[in-house]
Amino acid sequence: MSRPEGLRDWLTTRLLARLPLEDREALHGDLTELHHQRTAAGSSAWTSRIEYWGGVVGAAMRYRRPPPIPALSQPARRPRLMERLWTDLRVALRGFRRAPLFTALAACTLALGIGSTTAMFSVLNPVLLTPLPYPGADRVVGVWEREEDGSRSTIGYATYRDLRSDSRSLAAAAALGLGEVVLLGDGEPERLTSLRVTAEYFQVLGVGPAIGRDFTPEEDIPGSARVAILSHGLWQRRFGGDPAILGRTVVLSAIPFTIIGVMPASFRDYLEPNAQLWTTLRYADQGWACRTCRHLRFVARLAPDVAPLAAQRELDLRFEQLQASYPDDYASAGTIVVPLQSQLTGDIRAALLAITVGVGFVLLIAVANVMNLQLGRALRRRRDFAIRGALGASRGQVMRQLLTESLLLALTGGALGVLVAWGGIRLLTRLDRLSLPRLEAVHLDGSVLLFAVLVTLVTGVAFGMAPAWLAGRKDLHQLLKQDGRGGTADRHRLRAGLVVAEVGLALVLLVGAGLMFRSLTRLLSVEVGFQTDHLLTMEVRAIGEQYDSLAAVSLLADRVITAVEALPGVEGTAWTSMLPLGGDFNRYGVQIASRPVENRSDAPSADRYLVSPGYFSVMGIAVRQGRAFTPQDRAGGDRVAIVNHAFASSHWAGREAIGDRVQLGGADDPWWTIVGVVDDVKHIGLDAPPVPQVYLPQSQWMYNEGLGGLVVRLTGDPAGMMAPLRQAIRALEPNTPITRVATMEQLLAGSTAERRYTLWLFGVFAGIALLLAAAGIYGVLANSVQERTREIGIRSALGAARGAILGQVLGQGLRLAGLGVVLGGVVALVLGRLVDGLLYEVEPGDPLTLVGVAMVLMATAAGACWAPARRAASVPPSEVLREE
Amino acid sequence: MSGTLGELEQLVLLALARLGEHAYGVSVREELARRARRELSLGTIYTTLGRLEAKRLIASHLGDPTPERGGRRKKFYRLLPAGHRALLASLHAIERMAAGLHPLLERS
Repeated sequence: MSRPEGLRDWLTTRLLARLPLEDREALHGDLTELHHQRTAAGSSAWTSRIEYWGGVVGAAMRYRRPPPIPALSQPARRPRLMERLWTDLRVALRGFRRAPLFTALAACTLALGIGSTTAMFSVLNPVLLTPLPYPGADRVVGVWEREEDGSRSTIGYATYRDLRSDSRSLAAAAALGLGEVVLLGDGEPERLTSLRVTAEYFQVLGVGPAIGRDFTPEEDIPGSARVAILSHGLWQRRFGGDPAILGRTVVLSAIPFTIIGVMPASFRDYLEPNAQLWTTLRYADQGWACRTCRHLRFVARLAPDVAPLAAQRELDLRFEQLQASYPDDYASAGTIVVPLQSQLTGDIRAALLAITVGVGFVLLIAVANVMNLQLGRALRRRRDFAIRGALGASRGQVMRQLLTESLLLALTGGALGVLVAWGGIRLLTRLDRLSLPRLEAVHLDGSVLLFAVLVTLVTGVAFGMAPAWLAGRKDLHQLLKQDGRGGTADRHRLRAGLVVAEVGLALVLLVGAGLMFRSLTRLLSVEVGFQTDHLLTMEVRAIGEQYDSLAAVSLLADRVITAVEALPGVEGTAWTSMLPLGGDFNRYGVQIASRPVENRSDAPSADRYLVSPGYFSVMGIAVRQGRAFTPQDRAGGDRVAIVNHAFASSHWAGREAIGDRVQLGGADDPWWTIVGVVDDVKHIGLDAPPVPQVYLPQSQWMYNEGLGGLVVRLTGDPAGMMAPLRQAIRALEPNTPITRVATMEQLLAGSTAERRYTLWLFGVFAGIALLLAAAGIYGVLANSVQERTREIGIRSALGAARGAILGQVLGQGLRLAGLGVVLGGVVALVLGRLVDGLLYEVEPGDPLTLVGVAMVLMATAAGACWAPARRAASVPPSEVLREE
Repeated sequence: MSGTLGELEQLVLLALARLGEHAYGVSVREELARRARRELSLGTIYTTLGRLEAKRLIASHLGDPTPERGGRRKKFYRLLPAGHRALLASLHAIERMAAGLHPLLERS
């Protein structure tokens, strides 16, 4: 019973296959119902059967598909649109399921592109784009003296005072200097960064204390009561958030200060991100307040509706008057007024912009690659589209379908990209060595996500356009007839163009990475002037009243050296007022006895080091002429100095520096006789050109600078040495803070951290670009070989050698890559100046880099061509001929 | 709204008007056979219904499956207001054209 019925249903369904699903079911049901009625009414089985099949055949023959549903009236439009979208989406999803490799490849490519762009934007956004979190932040500016060469210089107190008085452009102004204080009290003595500021400082920033009050002008004059404002963090950490903090006394470097306020928890001082407390400057017209003592920074809040340039014009006029009144004191050309935001990001801007351009290239390559994949897929689905067209789908419908697919793909890529971005941001912020301002504000927030969405949509439309346009343009029936042979030149040209563009962009990125790599290797091979291995460095301070005298500090210095050198594993140790690559510098104007200059501002300036006798041997700095310091160079003895090679050759060219005398500082300061010349030491960084350096015996300096940097030469590994060292020093003086402990190799790495970071990022992006470009070449060639299987088979049947076919396919791919390399090379030369500032002793057009990178790229391209070429060469002719 | 109604279309619309909510393939076919004496294939009927639906004169929905239909659902049809108007217009035209002609036509 069930078998004949099953057969009947099956056959009926076959015969009615032409009907839409709903009609087929209803009609089939109707026929069955009629059959039942007849059987029930007593018709014979055969009659019923004949009538049933008559009905089926009649229905199948008579049925005509109804015309397509005509244009819709307005009110019904919305649901129909949604319905259409839904259909498109379902079709797209089905398509993706059928091509999982394509989908995964495209989505991952997009995820990389969108993810890296989004991560980079999340860094750029707070660092370069979002205003600083101060009210009216766009009106907060930095004011500098402008040197003849246009560079910025800090400013003297008297200049600051004269520029700001009665200025109409500045609503508030402040000068500030960096201070370092040692906080004594409960627990370890701690070294803190402080800012010494004039009274209006917080008014300039527009943020006042959350607890207590701001500084008053009366607290900013010499001899006034000493007051301090704490950061929220310091208040919580050192004072346990004591609510009765106001009025408490805090001892900073042995001087008592009264606490008058605590800043809000949200406040960040971007002028000195490490500042934990603020005190008043208390300058007036004497001592350090001169015009040539240019050691202060100057910040101001502009009056409403005054542009930075207008303010600069006003200050320039005042500056001219000052120059006229004090011609000896000024060598600068004028002033510079810059918004604080650009002042803070100035150094890092070039690196960030270069990386951003690089990331943009990665995104472009990703889009080109996906577009390429889409085109290849569109080719394979040509018949599919043609059939749809034959069944009445309009061009618009096909294009809409393609666009839907592209957007769906972009959204998937975008969603994955947000994950990539999230990981990327975590990675970017972990590398805080880059000293990015406002790194703490970098995170994946709403605006970053909005950016990702925008990028995603733009990309989706961008790579959906080309295939959709092609599908819309070509006559679909024409395509159906062609069946994969010829007539597809447009698409080929487009795909080839995309591959050329990809290779070109990848080359630009690789050139950038290559140039940075060359810079770094050049830099790392630079002579630093001393032996960096097995060298431990730290800073030690002498704190308290008992160390007010020079003699007491001197004694402690000697005792520390004796104690440390007695430790096992220590080869030698010495003091220096500043550590090379330690980030500090101390520069003095130097008057030379044999060739004095009239105007002191014309005198050469030199880095000044106060060192103990063993310094040169502990550091491994070679003595070129004369001698090093000895323990006999004592206080009260003849004052002696040692200069570096750069100073000796630039200012005593040909003449003997030894025996000449130098004076550091003012006209009343003592003269020092040069007894030796030593090698140049890189002090600021590896990329800094050699500058004059002057070494003086620590014991002969006339002011108390309270110890300083200690360098310890070890026989073995620095690890494990710190605890005994600390113990030995603390045994002599328990209140001594020991800070900034690092091996010299760490300091060295720190000085190149920014370069390595930029190189690392660029390298990653260039690597991604190379991979994507290789994938692009592979895709195009593989497709082309597949299309030409028949042609290749016929050629090899006619006797073409395997080698010839291999060569032809390889040549096809390498021609594209070569064209891309040439075009990319031109772009790289044009964009070279973008990275110029990031390079060290390498020209942007460095031929070695260009050639090297081009070879890497061509080799990669050849690798990508290899598989399709092999496949082409191994097409068996018999198979193709059988097909024919 | 495209054109006037064909004869078959008129008949089917009239059948739907008669059958109300019970109009589906089998009942429409029976109604046409009984009253109009027209034995039509279900294919023809569905074609006409489909065309009327495309013209937005009628609407359809699927009913419940029944055992005597082999578990298949019925497709029910009903007149839409536009179908109602079109049917009336068509019938009125015929009535006006035929007014007074019955004796004449029946004689010849």
